[in-house]
Amino acid sequence: MSPFEIAEPATIADALALLSGDDPDIRPLAGGSALMLMMKSGVFRPTRLVSLRRLDEFTGIAATPEGGIRIGAMTSLAAIEHSSLVKQRAPVIVEAMRRLANVRVRNQACIGGALAHGDPHLDMPPLLAALGAEVTIVGPEGERKVAVADLYVGYYQTVLAGDELIREVSIPSLAGRHTAYQKCTTRSADDWPALGVAVNLRAGKSGISEARIVVGAVAEIPTQLRNVEMILQGRTLDQALLAQAGEAAAAELSPTSDARGSAAYKRQLVKVYVGRAIAAAMDVVAS
Amino acid sequence: MSNARRKISFQLNGATVSATVENHHNVVELLEQFGLRGARESCGQGLCGCCTILIDDVAVSGCLQLAAMVDGKNVCTIEGMQKNGELDPIQQAFIESGAFQCGFCTPGFVLMTQQLLDRYPDPDDDQIRSYLSGNLCRCGAYPEILKAVRLAAEKRKSAATA
Ligand SMILES: Cc1cc2nc3c(=O)[nH]c(=O)nc-3n(C[C@H](O)[C@H](O)[C@H](O)COP(=O)(O)OP(=O)(O)OC[C@H]3O[C@@H](n4cnc5c(N)ncnc54)[C@H](O)[C@@H]3O)c2cc1C
Ligand code: FES
Ligand code: FES
Repeated sequence: MSPFEIAEPATIADALALLSGDDPDIRPLAGGSALMLMMKSGVFRPTRLVSLRRLDEFTGIAATPEGGIRIGAMTSLAAIEHSSLVKQRAPVIVEAMRRLANVRVRNQACIGGALAHGDPHLDMPPLLAALGAEVTIVGPEGERKVAVADLYVGYYQTVLAGDELIREVSIPSLAGRHTAYQKCTTRSADDWPALGVAVNLRAGKSGISEARIVVGAVAEIPTQLRNVEMILQGRTLDQALLAQAGEAAAAELSPTSDARGSAAYKRQLVKVYVGRAIAAAMDVVAS
Repeated sequence: MSNARRKISFQLNGATVSATVENHHNVVELLEQFGLRGARESCGQGLCGCCTILIDDVAVSGCLQLAAMVDGKNVCTIEGMQKNGELDPIQQAFIESGAFQCGFCTPGFVLMTQQLLDRYPDPDDDQIRSYLSGNLCRCGAYPEILKAVRLAAEKRKSAATA
């Protein structure tokens, strides 16, 4: 690794002034777990890292009056995993944490880093996109809000400018929602996903009234399965519908091959795991 | 002093120390300055746990942690685990269970076990497996390691009630 400067601003204004809209060698530093890997392999050679750890506005987990949760960008994944509020209001996130990397990585990595990194092989982007979460972004022009579903534009690319920061992420109330995240790994149990499927359904006596399904690790960005969502609309869950959803998902996606599975293998995974994830959300067993 | 390096001071195994570090150095490199080699860089990617240390009582991979960022923090390594010449009950449990062959991975496993028992004093096998899943043992001593963790939990309990 080559030498660089580390800045530790105490205010958002100072942090923004230290960042740069057009110098890719200057970047914010959260937990540093992803940055360290990129610096060690030489794909990123910074001239300056701007640590966000002294920014009070970036910390904390709080309940919103609407029944949701606000999480500061510098909150560690472990703090989220062990939060009783998150467990109560969004247990699907706690579940997903258990198989995300290992205890040490979760202790170090922050939710802002997990969302801003833009690696398509992450668990939080598809999950938080499916839950309808939104990030608050601060920049030279002030604040703006962006849905996690709209954060990604390409391989390691987000809508964030170089001098913008994710300050927090807010998750809406999930009351009455059926949610699940199913992750398939092909190396070790807590490896980066070969496939991640996040499901968020509203269902009542007259069947499924709202469905949002987002998959990760098959394309350059998390991908919403709009055809499958349409198929589920108004239907009551049975094994035939689960199979139909899996088939439709495999037809809708064109997975790319990577180190964790070929395109053909991932297509097969999609077929099986989309059904499983919907079944898990509705608390039934997929046959 | 150039802005690529800085002077830091921190707690190291209970003593206040200071060091001059390059900003791009990681904590394993920092510990080498103090002659501490229990945390060693092996995979260098957060996967194997051989570099495990506790920063403010939280287990992290030293290989993924910038040395500059431990300024003002409390760092514990395997070398700090024995008290007054006596091994920690966790270390003792690893010896009694024969939970290693070459011992390369052992400091990491011992520190992760400490982290586990601090949160779950009476862990079930799932909890043990899930806490230790990020530590690799090339000698494959996993069954003995599981035994050692259960024994360590017992030792801690009886030490607490003694
Ligand atoms: C061994 C290992 C295993 C892993 N396994 C998994 C896994 O199974 N599933 C998974 O999902 N992930 C996995 N990861 C990836 C991990 O989730 C990311 O490395 C981590 O979330 C990044 O967070 P960080 O705080 O460390 O970010 P950093 O490394 O500090 O930053 C990452 C990127 O985000 C930018 N950034 C950080 N915070 C902000 C902010 N607030 N605003 C704007 N930009 C910001 C940085 O500039 C940088 O570009 C693994 C990582 C390791 C090392
Ligand atoms: S050397 Fe740090 S985790 Fe392997
Ligand atoms: S005892 Fe040799 S690597 Fe674990």
